[in-house]
Amino acid sequence: MASLQLKKIIKDFGPTRVIRGVDLDVHDGEFVVFVGPSGCGKSTLLRMICGLEDISLGELTIDGTRANDTRAADRGLSMVFQSYALYPHMTVYQNMAFGLENTGIAKDVVRAKVDAAAKLLRLDPLLERKPTQLSGGQRQRVAIGRSIVREPKIFLFDEPLSNLDAELRVSMRGEITALHRRLGATMIYVTHDQVEAMTMADKIVVLRAGSIEQVGSPLELYNSPDNKFVAGFIGSPQMNFAPVTAGHGDNIVTAYGETFVLKTQSKPAAGTELTLGVRPEHLSLEKREGSLALPITITGVEQLGGHSLLYGTLPGANPSTDGPRVTAQVAGQVTTKVGETATVYAPPEACHLFEANGDERAVR
Amino acid sequence: MKALNFLTRTRNGRSMDWTDWLSYSYLAMGLFLMFGPVLWLVMSSFKTESALNEFPPSFLPYGQKSIAVPGEEKMKPVYRVKMPDGSTKELAELRRIGLTSTLIDPARPDDLIRVNVKDREPVREFKLATENYTDLGGQIKFGTYLWNSVFITLIATILTLLFNSMAAFALSKYKFSGRTAVFLLILGTLMVPPAIVLVPNFLVISELGLLNSLWGVIWPAIATPTGVFLLRQYMLTIPDELLEAARMDNASEWQIYWRIVLPLAAPALAVLAIFSVMWRWNDFLWPLIVLSKNEKFTLQLALNAFQGDLVTQWNYLLAMTVITLLPITIVFAFLQKYITQGIASAGVK
Repeated sequence: MASLQLKKIIKDFGPTRVIRGVDLDVHDGEFVVFVGPSGCGKSTLLRMICGLEDISLGELTIDGTRANDTRAADRGLSMVFQSYALYPHMTVYQNMAFGLENTGIAKDVVRAKVDAAAKLLRLDPLLERKPTQLSGGQRQRVAIGRSIVREPKIFLFDEPLSNLDAELRVSMRGEITALHRRLGATMIYVTHDQVEAMTMADKIVVLRAGSIEQVGSPLELYNSPDNKFVAGFIGSPQMNFAPVTAGHGDNIVTAYGETFVLKTQSKPAAGTELTLGVRPEHLSLEKREGSLALPITITGVEQLGGHSLLYGTLPGANPSTDGPRVTAQVAGQVTTKVGETATVYAPPEACHLFEANGDERAVR
Repeated sequence: MKALNFLTRTRNGRSMDWTDWLSYSYLAMGLFLMFGPVLWLVMSSFKTESALNEFPPSFLPYGQKSIAVPGEEKMKPVYRVKMPDGSTKELAELRRIGLTSTLIDPARPDDLIRVNVKDREPVREFKLATENYTDLGGQIKFGTYLWNSVFITLIATILTLLFNSMAAFALSKYKFSGRTAVFLLILGTLMVPPAIVLVPNFLVISELGLLNSLWGVIWPAIATPTGVFLLRQYMLTIPDELLEAARMDNASEWQIYWRIVLPLAAPALAVLAIFSVMWRWNDFLWPLIVLSKNEKFTLQLALNAFQGDLVTQWNYLLAMTVITLLPITIVFAFLQKYITQGIASAGVK
């Protein structure tokens, strides 16, 4: 159990800078999820923390001690790899005991620790099997068990669920969070799946192109994203975006000429180009006072029973890019057909506004 | 039963198609071409020296029947003799002088019968001259040669596996500048014909005082570019994540090599072991140069030495040849699956 600090961490692969100065505090017992699209550097960052990649610049401290030059094995961390990286020629027991044996611990202590971890993960009937004789979920548990027996300060997970099928992923998700609660250990978890991030994390770190976009609890990120990237990345289906311009006062003018009032603190100058963001689940077919009306041409309907997804385009949509597109998740079942026009309403309190240029920072 | 079904398979599963005839006769011809000489060798190795010198030669090891004659130390050869009265009898020949042969009837040892050599012909029977094999132990230090060969083959193979796998491990799993250059250099030595390095190698071995030592045969042979290449290509397929996991598991680099990479490279090691055994066992030229003392000879050298300038004891030579073939044959028979796999994966032979 430990805390971890990253200070201005930078990683260069030759002339390419893949991690561009990351600052992060991970507190004791926290479950932190690194999330981001592929190639954002989240795995590299994790590998730098565990010591498999050198840190080009910056400082990594574990429990307040600088650990930049500590060997991977001596950092007291453990890692669960995406491919599990189980030794195929060893049995489950040998796989779990390998790390302990290397530290020269007495055989009976090793046995006791492995047995305890196996019990915790319900692996005890499988100890004499080889990894090839296990199912995906069992292999996953062995990989976690291998981490647990070493009693690490921090658990690291590198996309551990991406090789599992959807159903198993959900149950393993639950098992890992349960494990976190039981062990109370600090865990850092890398994934590209925002659902995993939302469901498991105490703290989500959204990464893009080697930089942190936002750090916060899942609901902070959902409710008040710092920028358009985070807004688009967190939440499913993805947030709708539409180009708007700032009018006088608090007025906002849509591309198709509708004006409505949206209070902002920064009060962008009239004529500033902005991006309006509304989550699909906040759109509804019922008109409410002050709501923004989005007249859309329906291009697709998905009835899911409990709720329905309407896909459509706004007036003046560019036929070649087919955008801007709007997705609305409305409660219940609908009678709307493809090709019809419908109006969906966005309540002002659910509307986000982002700068249209530059960092696309949130202005509301 | 399974083998029989396999061997009698036909194209349409029922009667013999003309393509079946064609392919079976082609296969039979191939079998004859490949296996005929070996079979002939094995058969000949069971013939006595005189049977080997017979013309026309026989396929099966026939020998002239011989029986004990009272009053004579040696066994005497038996002939079928046409008697002057027209009948034929089987008699033992005591001696032959000029065109006259003196024979004796074992049943009546007192009568000597003299006939013209044209009137007698040898009685032949199927006879395995196993003494060709049993004599090997005694008169020609066969055991020493066998031990020398086994020692060189075993030690050289173990060292080959160790050194080549270490080189392959470094070349496949460590990133260092010049890695490709080193690898290409090692591969480049494949293009140097062995005959060219023969003299330099000899000089080195000679300076090191390893002439007439089995180690003089072993050391120059253990580092093979083929082995490094074969193992490196295989080790490239071992995922790096396994090594990283081991590194996280507090394993030293030696432990990673010894406990993770080596066991996982076992199929490639098996292939290289087979190759190495075949190379070292069949090696002739290099041992011939390094080993000049008779007691250091390998089997191959002994076979060569057996072929004298004036006299060659073919019966012993053939028996030794068969024994020399055996280990390789056994290796081939049991490990042919790995051999084909190795040839397919590395493109070597």
